[in-house]
Amino acid sequence: MIKRLLIANRGEVALRVIRACRELGVETVAVYSEADVRAPHVSAADRAVAIGAAPAVDSYLSTARILEAVDTSGADAVHPGYGFLSENASFAAACEQAGIVFVGPPSSVIAQMGSKIAARRVMQTAGVPSVPGDVPHDQSDDGVRRAVERVGPPVLIKASGGGGGRGISRVDQIDGAIAAIQGARREATASFGDGTLYVEKLLVKPHHVEVQIFADNHDHVVHLWERECSAQRRHQKVIEESPSPIMTPRLRARMTDAAVQAARACGYRNAGTVEFLVDTSMGRGAERFYFLEMNTRLQVEHPITEQVTGLDIVRAQILVASNEPLPWLAPSISQRGHAIEARVYAEDPAQGFLPQAGRLLLYREPRIPGIRIDSGVEEGSDVPVHYDALLAKVIATASTRDEAITRLVCALRAFPILGVRTNVSFLLRLLEHPRFRAGDVDTTFLDTEGHTLAASPPEQPPAFVREALAAYVVDADQLTAATASGAIQPKAVAGFDPWERLGTWGK
Amino acid sequence: MGKVTRVGPGVYRVEHDGGRQEIVYVAGPRGSTWAFWNGEIFHETATSAPSEHSGQARPMGPRTLSSPMPATIIKVMATPGSPIKRGDTLLVVEAMKMELPIAAEYDGTVKAVHCREGDLVQAGQTLIELE
Repeated sequence: MIKRLLIANRGEVALRVIRACRELGVETVAVYSEADVRAPHVSAADRAVAIGAAPAVDSYLSTARILEAVDTSGADAVHPGYGFLSENASFAAACEQAGIVFVGPPSSVIAQMGSKIAARRVMQTAGVPSVPGDVPHDQSDDGVRRAVERVGPPVLIKASGGGGGRGISRVDQIDGAIAAIQGARREATASFGDGTLYVEKLLVKPHHVEVQIFADNHDHVVHLWERECSAQRRHQKVIEESPSPIMTPRLRARMTDAAVQAARACGYRNAGTVEFLVDTSMGRGAERFYFLEMNTRLQVEHPITEQVTGLDIVRAQILVASNEPLPWLAPSISQRGHAIEARVYAEDPAQGFLPQAGRLLLYREPRIPGIRIDSGVEEGSDVPVHYDALLAKVIATASTRDEAITRLVCALRAFPILGVRTNVSFLLRLLEHPRFRAGDVDTTFLDTEGHTLAASPPEQPPAFVREALAAYVVDADQLTAATASGAIQPKAVAGFDPWERLGTWGK
Repeated sequence: MGKVTRVGPGVYRVEHDGGRQEIVYVAGPRGSTWAFWNGEIFHETATSAPSEHSGQARPMGPRTLSSPMPATIIKVMATPGSPIKRGDTLLVVEAMKMELPIAAEYDGTVKAVHCREGDLVQAGQTLIELE
């Protein structure tokens, strides 16, 4: 069994892994950059190691710094979380060579599935259908352009080293191909260090449905049902749910079978996700699905699967990495009720979803039965500019889809976050959109209609909000005056509220 | 006017004339106050009269484009002296793992470009001058 686990990540996922470790009696080691000295994940761990400067390349993305931290902390295992080094095959290989347990699949599987071109080949051999496309041998701009011609626009140009929606360009007409190819190559080279591109036919209004799979070292491969993740903005998931509203029992059986086959075909270990695109244009009962990619790590949206199955995926990851058999097998894994997750980001929908950085002046998570919140921040936290701006995942669970959506809406309305702009009002408009309510949101929905959901707030707040603001400013002025006259001693801590001492000012 | 009661740190209860009440969360220093009500965020700054969010062309607005946040310049499309139209992408910057296009807000001409591809720039730093 793993004794001391280093979590090579930050934010909510680091806290999620620490929680599982605590329940298993595994010691935890947090790592942190200079920007994260006061971050919650650092305090939550049993030990913490500083790994470098704020930019991720100098800290969370640095194999050398992470391995040094493993060494100094005496950890015997590493959990990579998601993002950062989680799908970096050479990092996993370095752990293997150092005799450190990597909580995830073998490095060879990460490498194979990390090459989207190699992954397509494996799936084709295993009989799992892939999106129609072309992998050009001639990788010059012109060679890729000819592949675009062969497949026929509209197409997507994708990076072989890509994933998570990065390094993708859409081409509607052959005229625009060269610019799109250059854009995709620039992002691919910068982000993945590999400019190899391939071309996929653009499906008309597909749904993104993925299957959670899990494999251990004892020849067990199981699936934990599906997640619908079609609400995406520029290929970044915004809302995920399980079960998928487009699923029929027959389609579910075919897709989960294909996912298990895919996992077996690549010799998978630990938790993984097989992503599919589902073409529903032929009508109900005639859906076609295609392998999109395999994510060789824990997914951001894993909590909705935990909610409908009642299972702890991260706990099982640690057990399976310790060479234990899977704690649950196929017939006992049920899918019960409905779970839906919204990702709360520090970003401004009214300014093209520009990421926001700053201090969370006020941050109060609602406490509601049936609501789970996985977050990486607290009141007073600074949201640094250097990393993904995910603040919290709000997960609602209920017996039906409608109830779960309504529960999520109520939770978001009761989740005040101040100091940075967030996407909460955008999430609410999406959740209340008739097409979302009808389960009719495909992957193109947010990119074509998202701007109507991203409307700016009214210029003037409602009268009662202005009254509250006015009362607050008066209170703040009184506080300033009292501080200046020495009536109270200000504390040099951000977020401290001297009101609690001021009995005489209560109204 | 409603009755306003401070019920906790940053939490105000406002009672309407009809008796219905609302909870408003408030924070921030004077001159930059934030409020949250029912899923909506309001930010009032000392200079926020005409909001940047109004979406209208600002013919007499500042004739410079600046970086909205610390970022890396990925691509520079603008060249000095070239005519531009509202909505043209002039620059692409990368911040927080995202490529963000920076577009012209009105028709005009590029007067000067103050950045190169690969530059690290700070929030508010002038990147392009227009005329």
